[in-house]
Amino acid sequence: MTALAQIPIHKITRAIAHAAERWSDADFPPRVRVTDRVTERTGYSIPAVEYALDRIFFSVTQADLEATIANELGSLDALNGFAPRARRPDAWAAPAGNVCVISSRTTIGVAIVPAIFALCAKNDVLVKDREDSLVHAFFQTLAQELDPFAAAARASTWASDDENAPELQTFDVVAAFGSDDTLAAIRNALAAGARFIGYGSRASAGYVTRETLGNAAALKALCRGAARDLVLYETEGCLSLHTLFVERGGALSLEAFGRMLSQSVEEANVEFPIARRHAADAASIAQQRNLAAFRAAAGHGAVFASERGEYAIIVDQAPSQPPHFLPRTLGIIGVDSPEDALQYVRTHALRLEGFALSDERNDVSRAALQAGAVRLTGFGELQHPPLSGNHGGHPRIAEFVRWIDRTL
Amino acid sequence: MRYRTSEVEAYRSEADALDGEIVQCIEQRNVPDFNDLALRILSHQLRYNEPYTKYAASLGVTVDAMPQDWQAIPPVPTPAYKEAALCTFDPSKAALTFETSGTTQGVGGKHYMESAALYDAALLSGFAHAMLRDVSRPLRYVLLVPNPSQRPQSSLGYMMRKVAEAYGDGREGWYLDGDALHIEQLLEDVRQARADDAAVCIAGTAFAFVNLLDELNARAIASLPLPPGSRIMETGGFKGRTRIVQRAELYAELGRLFSLPEHRIVAEYGMTELTSQYYDNVVSPSHDSARIKHSPPWLRPRVVGPDGKTLPPGVVGALVHVDLANRSSCIAIQTEDLGVAGADGGIILIGREKGAELRGCSLDAEELHAIARA
Repeated sequence: MTALAQIPIHKITRAIAHAAERWSDADFPPRVRVTDRVTERTGYSIPAVEYALDRIFFSVTQADLEATIANELGSLDALNGFAPRARRPDAWAAPAGNVCVISSRTTIGVAIVPAIFALCAKNDVLVKDREDSLVHAFFQTLAQELDPFAAAARASTWASDDENAPELQTFDVVAAFGSDDTLAAIRNALAAGARFIGYGSRASAGYVTRETLGNAAALKALCRGAARDLVLYETEGCLSLHTLFVERGGALSLEAFGRMLSQSVEEANVEFPIARRHAADAASIAQQRNLAAFRAAAGHGAVFASERGEYAIIVDQAPSQPPHFLPRTLGIIGVDSPEDALQYVRTHALRLEGFALSDERNDVSRAALQAGAVRLTGFGELQHPPLSGNHGGHPRIAEFVRWIDRTL
Repeated sequence: MRYRTSEVEAYRSEADALDGEIVQCIEQRNVPDFNDLALRILSHQLRYNEPYTKYAASLGVTVDAMPQDWQAIPPVPTPAYKEAALCTFDPSKAALTFETSGTTQGVGGKHYMESAALYDAALLSGFAHAMLRDVSRPLRYVLLVPNPSQRPQSSLGYMMRKVAEAYGDGREGWYLDGDALHIEQLLEDVRQARADDAAVCIAGTAFAFVNLLDELNARAIASLPLPPGSRIMETGGFKGRTRIVQRAELYAELGRLFSLPEHRIVAEYGMTELTSQYYDNVVSPSHDSARIKHSPPWLRPRVVGPDGKTLPPGVVGALVHVDLANRSSCIAIQTEDLGVAGADGGIILIGREKGAELRGCSLDAEELHAIARA
């Protein structure tokens, strides 16, 4: 039996929401301590880390948790025992058992939301934490809210070759974030009947229609949003804006749009100062910027960048070139139609998470879906996945339960 | 560009004069005034290399607005060689054309050279100085690099063929067939070299050496001593390869296998976009075992920050190379390779993974030394 098995779900969601509320206060001492450690680990500026923590913890409310659970499982009561279902047998969404959440190297608190839903499903949860111990610190607050969390929610750090690393064979469900190679290695280490939830490497894209290019007010807001989607977390997340398609033939040229976007990026750089830069990244950004300048001098496209290489907006990037995947570096691909964007995604075998649309034009939405995006949203919203959403195309809680039917 | 006959003659005269001057510097291993010659080559390229002229102009550098210092010469990013024919002459008339390796996009760049004599002079002088200063008789070359008869576009294959022709005993062997290694032939030839007491120079890419070690391991051959005076030149890397071995580990294994002291294993650092090469200083009798790459007098490195400005010694940055022997292409090349300015104008190369951990900050002496030894 798991540590939370006998606790009513309302009590669990209330405790989690209350802990999250405490963590929503920037002056909450554990958060203050963790903020420094996250900043040290990631190199991100304090405003970026504070922003990330706000986005995580403000979104965790009891109402949203319960709505998401009820929506996915049919009812909240299904977590407490057998519950009636229309035209289906009574069923109990019992805990899957032991759950392990393995978080990725760069992003902030990515393990917290799946861990929360695994706990809501009353599982015993172990999170592979990062060196900043964010999850561990949050779990301590959970245990202050409700004692059984002390046994149910654990977080520690380990390396894959560490002799103290937990035996992955012992888990019933493993949710993991990481590269494809990492995920493959983890999956191969699981027991045959274990469930695996992989959040692999993904990219996000945006599409600006020619209609939007003629709407000055919409365009300004779009650029502000796109700039934020680009600079937050140094373009390292799967929800960062990695490539931007802009239709030719609008009221604004690609170059004029690029200039406008670069001004918004300059503003976003003030709001979210640049992270500590790796020398290799700095060299790569400079190289891409200089290459774009070379192409521009030859009459192909343009580049807007700061001299110190803090960011680079590369206009009319060659479609043969894949996204840069470099901090605050964005290629604008000129397209004639959504088909061109789809072709680009296929050519470079991009696996899309988010797709930002400038408006609701049907052909663009259709192309985004065909391209494999699992979330359609507006510019400025890419980095704000809702708690109740399906990150990575996965349900939030459904994979953490084991259904038991009753047909007596 | 189309030129009138008089312009062609003017170009020819200027190019020949510059080439002659550069070859003289190479042969004497002395550049009396690097700055002056570099700026004259820049001026030449700004008048005859159209894509470079446009790029330089976009950065404010023209024949009418020349920099005063060689360090201010605008370097061309290496991928630009995939974008345009970066040369001062009609590329269809190139004496030599070398291709860069393909990237993830599968498109390689081309380095066109107008004069084979200039290229040959630079590579032979550089090799002899770095590899052969203590050699009294021709070496036998064991070549684990692309065979020019198979891959004429490989600058490395061309280079080693020239070296073997100039400095070899006439019995060099080529053992690579694509990525496949002719291991039996190599073993037989090494044994023959031992019987002949002919010192050998094995030249190959890091990946080829790893392949060789794997093949020998599969045959349970743990020792293959080379005749006294033998040596190894390792170059390239593991670009695009799945198996990567730390260089220090590789050298240790090669040393054990061939019974060579590590100072007989010399790393060369070059690239298709350059005419000249850097080498470890380890063969030098006075080496201190730190692997600092040294350039010949006509090639100078700069370690630069994202703004293109030269960084102080000890700070990690991207490498820019100013190669006077690139007279007919681009004199200055910007790379993504990371390095640190070392003593005596040398550079210490830093792997991108190590560099990533460094996060762009200064290294202390101990860290530098550790990297230089790796």
